[in-house]
Amino acid sequence: MTQLSTLHVRSINHRVAPTAVREQAHIEPEQAVALMNALVGGPEQEAAVRGCLSVIPVSTCNRTEIYLEILEGHDPDAVMGAGLAAVGLDADLYHSEYALRLNGLEAIEHLYKVSSGLESMMLGEPQIAGQLKTAYRLAREHQEPGPGLLRAFQGAFRAGKRVRTETRIATGAVSVAFAAVELARKFFDHLCDQNAVLVGAGETGGLAARHFLQHNIGQLTVVNRSYDRAQTLAQTLMAEKKAGLGRSAREGAAELQALPELEEGCGQIAARPWEELIPALAAADVILTTTGATEPIILPAMVEEAISGRKGKPLFMLDIAVPRDIHPDVHQIAGVFVFGLDDLDEIIQGNLSAREHQIPRAEEIIREELVEFQQWLNDVDLRPTVAEFRAYLEELKDKQVGFVRKKQNDEVAAAVDRSLQQFIKKVVGRSVSTLKAAESREQRERDLATLHRIFGIGDQD
Amino acid sequence: MAVLHSAFMVLLPMAYLVVWGSYMWLFLTDHPGAHRIVTRVALVTVFLDLVATVHLAQELHRLPMGSPLEFLGLLALAMLATYLVIERRLHVKNTGFLVTGVAFLFKFLSAAFTTPVRGASPYLSDPGFAGHAVFVLLAYTALSLSFLYAILYLVLSRQLMHRHFGLLFRRLPSLDVLERMSVGAVELGLPLLFVALSLGHLWMYDLADRVSPEMAALLSPYDPKIMATWVIFLAYAVGLAGHRFLGWRGYRMNVMAVVGYVVIVLSMGLIQHFFPTFHKFRVHAEPKTTLLHEAAPTPLVLTRGGGV
Repeated sequence: MTQLSTLHVRSINHRVAPTAVREQAHIEPEQAVALMNALVGGPEQEAAVRGCLSVIPVSTCNRTEIYLEILEGHDPDAVMGAGLAAVGLDADLYHSEYALRLNGLEAIEHLYKVSSGLESMMLGEPQIAGQLKTAYRLAREHQEPGPGLLRAFQGAFRAGKRVRTETRIATGAVSVAFAAVELARKFFDHLCDQNAVLVGAGETGGLAARHFLQHNIGQLTVVNRSYDRAQTLAQTLMAEKKAGLGRSAREGAAELQALPELEEGCGQIAARPWEELIPALAAADVILTTTGATEPIILPAMVEEAISGRKGKPLFMLDIAVPRDIHPDVHQIAGVFVFGLDDLDEIIQGNLSAREHQIPRAEEIIREELVEFQQWLNDVDLRPTVAEFRAYLEELKDKQVGFVRKKQNDEVAAAVDRSLQQFIKKVVGRSVSTLKAAESREQRERDLATLHRIFGIGDQD
Repeated sequence: MAVLHSAFMVLLPMAYLVVWGSYMWLFLTDHPGAHRIVTRVALVTVFLDLVATVHLAQELHRLPMGSPLEFLGLLALAMLATYLVIERRLHVKNTGFLVTGVAFLFKFLSAAFTTPVRGASPYLSDPGFAGHAVFVLLAYTALSLSFLYAILYLVLSRQLMHRHFGLLFRRLPSLDVLERMSVGAVELGLPLLFVALSLGHLWMYDLADRVSPEMAALLSPYDPKIMATWVIFLAYAVGLAGHRFLGWRGYRMNVMAVVGYVVIVLSMGLIQHFFPTFHKFRVHAEPKTTLLHEAAPTPLVLTRGGGV
């Protein structure tokens, strides 16, 4: 008979634990491999950690979670504690107030929610799905996951995908840099055709510039009071672009994960001295200001001069400096749209609110997927026996068809084969229905044992 | 057959209402389900309306443009069909609520208030005139869409200027796309208008040879409606040239599109009302009598009312 197993998760995440605890609980990939070897390493493993069918550790900046499939009758905390101790990780953390301990279907529901981004700090963020897949792949490379965890993770990936495609939970910018790009895109559909000017060469400016380059801004000109710094930033950005800005930014800013690589011809970068600010502004469609100046440096007269040749084309200006770099009166100039940090924050809050409205539908999808998992779980003990029973009948069928083939031609044998196939389908189908209809687990076990005994299939131990 | 026509008159406004409702659902919720169904619902409606139009044309033995309300019904069909082409080209569905709303309004007015057109112009059965009328319809459809997209541009622009990041901000495409849609519609409509005017002129000269001298004397290229249409054509052409060669963009272009369309509507309305020209007539003869069917054409008497 098949040994039954149970599913569990022990989680230290941003909802229950502060950053310091999460840092302490973080598991590096090598440690995850060591943990898997300790828990499911085979017969040589210590008696204390026996009972673990499979384990999948997931560790990101906001959560460290250990998913376990344990043979029935074993204590998951004892098993996991022994495994963590064996590889030198802090097992006590998972017994503390900072740990979330869920078992059975609750653990699966948690996994589905994590995969869908419902448990993420930034609701609906898509990176967690990739991180779960990475953890799952790593686990499969080092062990054969138990049927429960295998099914649970596959279901989680499906639930996550459904939530992202059937709801709008992952849409809209939820970071300042991304909101800036989203705002610019309300003006210009194709940023590759637009010129941007970055006024200021500090860290914030560099980050904003990277996001615009990621979104294929056509030309980026850096203007700074210190021309050397402008040149340095331009050269750094150019070097990053050549080295694959797409990859580096994806690693650094996970929100950009789904973005395409730079388009051919986009992302030209240059630096200009401060004296050429007005000509640079005149050539710009997007202006980003991030200097540390204490007084406004972009004045209405400068902008009026700069836009004189635009013939109605809107000019997008984003001031993310504190105090502001753009004089408030610039906003009054027709065709000039000035935005600041407060505006970006309002966009982010609006998007987060819109995402929150998607939660009920996302939870409905998760419930549907959980029902499917529950159905699978209900029948999991039947599967090995049913498979063996089917194999036994197939074997009998093959023998009979072989016998017919000797006496008759192939056409007759094929007809008999088809007929017996139908017969097997009906017999197995009826048997499964009868087994599923058992009134209790004991009754079902008795029925399974009877099937084994009558047909002499499987392990009689 | 009358039953079928009556069924269409009830069914079609309902179908347009469903299309509008679907696009509103999409606009308000951005629901993936709405994304999936809107185009299909609109396509089915266009198909139904086409069937109804062909059926009606066969029944009447003429283009169903015998009255302003009949024209309005066809304009609704042309708007929806043209919108679907634009939607497919630009992959933008969130502007559909406005176009389909106007199309529904036109279809509803057309179906609710249309009465049988007695003594409709026999020219509606003339292939030359029919070609002219169809091109006029398509041209004005394109210009109507240009107007609607220009309105959306100005609304979104205003929202951005006032930093309102609400539903319109989240749902509407960029100003860039709205401007391309508006200008693209003019780029489509202008050649159509030119073809419509040219066909109209050719047909008029052809007709002059076939009618009585008194009637022929009324067929003048200086007809107010024709003159106004040429002025409109030139105004749009100047705007388009400014966009293409002088770099006119943004607010300026879209205000021009709105003003241009308002001028069209007002001038046509005034001309229709105050100048009873050969573009506005009713035939005092059997409705099915046509110039094509008779060697000697039925005398035409200019009156007020009816007309195309």
